[in-house]
Amino acid sequence: MELLVQTLVNGLVLGAGYAVIAVGLTLIFGIVGIANFAHGAFFAIGGYACYLLTMRGVNYFVAIPLSVMVVVLIGALTEWIVMRRSLHGDSHTGSLIVTFALGQAIVAALILIFGPDPLPVTSPLGQSTLRFVGIFVTSQRAFILVCSILVLAALGLWLRRSVKGQQVIAVAQNPRGALYSGINVPWIRALAFILGVAAAGLAGALLAPISTIYPTMGYGALIVGFTVVILGGMGSIPGAMLGALLIGVANALFETFVSVSWTPLWVGD
Amino acid sequence: MVAKRQLSAMDKRISGQRALEAFYCACAAGGIAAFGLAFTDPFVVTLAGYTCAFALFALSINIILGGVGEVPLGQCLFFGIGSYGAAIGIGKLGLSFEVAVVAALVFAAVCAAIIGVITLRLTGAYFSIVSWGLTGVAMVAAANLDHITGGPLGLFGFPPITVGPLQLGNPQAYFFVTAAILLVSILFLVAVRRSPFGAAMDSVRQNPHLARAVGVDVARIRQKAFMLSAPFAALAGALSVPYTQIVTPDVFNVANTVDGLLMVLLGGARLVIGPVIGAAMFTLVPQIMNLDPNVKILAFSSMIILIMMLAPGGLHQIGVTLRDRLARKKDADYTR
Repeated sequence: MELLVQTLVNGLVLGAGYAVIAVGLTLIFGIVGIANFAHGAFFAIGGYACYLLTMRGVNYFVAIPLSVMVVVLIGALTEWIVMRRSLHGDSHTGSLIVTFALGQAIVAALILIFGPDPLPVTSPLGQSTLRFVGIFVTSQRAFILVCSILVLAALGLWLRRSVKGQQVIAVAQNPRGALYSGINVPWIRALAFILGVAAAGLAGALLAPISTIYPTMGYGALIVGFTVVILGGMGSIPGAMLGALLIGVANALFETFVSVSWTPLWVGD
Repeated sequence: MVAKRQLSAMDKRISGQRALEAFYCACAAGGIAAFGLAFTDPFVVTLAGYTCAFALFALSINIILGGVGEVPLGQCLFFGIGSYGAAIGIGKLGLSFEVAVVAALVFAAVCAAIIGVITLRLTGAYFSIVSWGLTGVAMVAAANLDHITGGPLGLFGFPPITVGPLQLGNPQAYFFVTAAILLVSILFLVAVRRSPFGAAMDSVRQNPHLARAVGVDVARIRQKAFMLSAPFAALAGALSVPYTQIVTPDVFNVANTVDGLLMVLLGGARLVIGPVIGAAMFTLVPQIMNLDPNVKILAFSSMIILIMMLAPGGLHQIGVTLRDRLARKKDADYTR
């Protein structure tokens, strides 16, 4: 019984991490209308920015928002240089190939700059664990859970309550109608893209201390993200959150009760 | 009268085209022979052979990308099946290379038939994602099924690989075999493209709804194209075994598909030999300029982004645009 509860909790924590990645992905799909195959690369950029900052002696908790800023900056640049220009093509394969090539280019650049080997990111939370009615959670994982919930709640609130958020939803529902009612659709699309990759960067910075960082770390995240997003329904934010929790729990259950080495089968990682 | 004249002119043009094509084939065969005999550096010749093998993989990707207009991120699944099929066949079962390759091709086609039923219901990004996911499944399976695939370490230490009397360990023989197979495959794919099936594929890519409206069975055409592409990828995988001499679960890595996809996009997806041109550029240019593999990927990926932004048809499209621009003057005179 205790093992089952512990496994469920592990799964939920894992799922919270997935949720941040998947929400970014689904936001971009719903509003910009592209499957962002470069998402994993932005995830990796988040991790590497966090690594660089903590190496320079910046506190990990300060480094997280700073690395998100770095990702936002790079995301804005790519949106401005590449996305905007490659989207207006009529073929759906166009955006797919462009984002995929973009991801490849970023990963190759990361390998060239930092080398292919995994690098550690140290968190002040270290290896300490929290104990709560017989269930263990490492502090870092608890921190990830809290951060994810906060960010997702803030995003949900922003979408529901603010004018900009409502505009984003309007563009997702009907871009042409949104354009006719005076919403700056290209700008909203840019905003959604940047927000989406920022979520990926945040996830990268949060997960870096657990998994160490390496240039191709994004592939796993990307596949998990897509699995979650497809499960939850592409473009749906609540669906992505639910899907992430489901996949996380399923993953943890499988890992505990069936086989560790076959577990990646689930998410195709 | 006029119609008759036009018809005879068309006949003449077609026979002229035939002659030109025969000439191209002869040139290609001559080029292969000249290259194989002129270069004696084993490294260069082996690399050229491997390029020919990988060009087959690019051709396979192009059947899907240029044929029915999907991005097959999971195509390395069949490449891996070919590699493992050949390796298991000659290493574990003691079959001859030819028998192992044929068995792998049949297995790949059967897998494609089964996988296609599931994945081809999807289009666009969904198809790409799910087929990519399946390669992950294959990689995990290959790493875990120790007794068949050798686990994470893979299979290696094969007996000498021969095709008929030719030793594939010999660079020149390897090159001639792969180049000949590549040439035959190109001719076959040209014939496919000109057949009614090729026209049906075109219609499916350009507008599936319209294709369905004029009586093309879209699902069937997509399934057939997928099953046609799989054996070519498997053949590429099998022919790369004599070069790599080891088969690990890493053959299912998406990086393999990416290389193939870059080749197709570089050369242009509309042309049957586009991928071959792309493959030659992709392997030869970095070799000549002595580039790091990651610089290569960075450079070619950036190039793809630029190509997709400026000329979505690849380098071939740029060439065609130039040719049309030059030819336009002639055409204008003709109509007058």
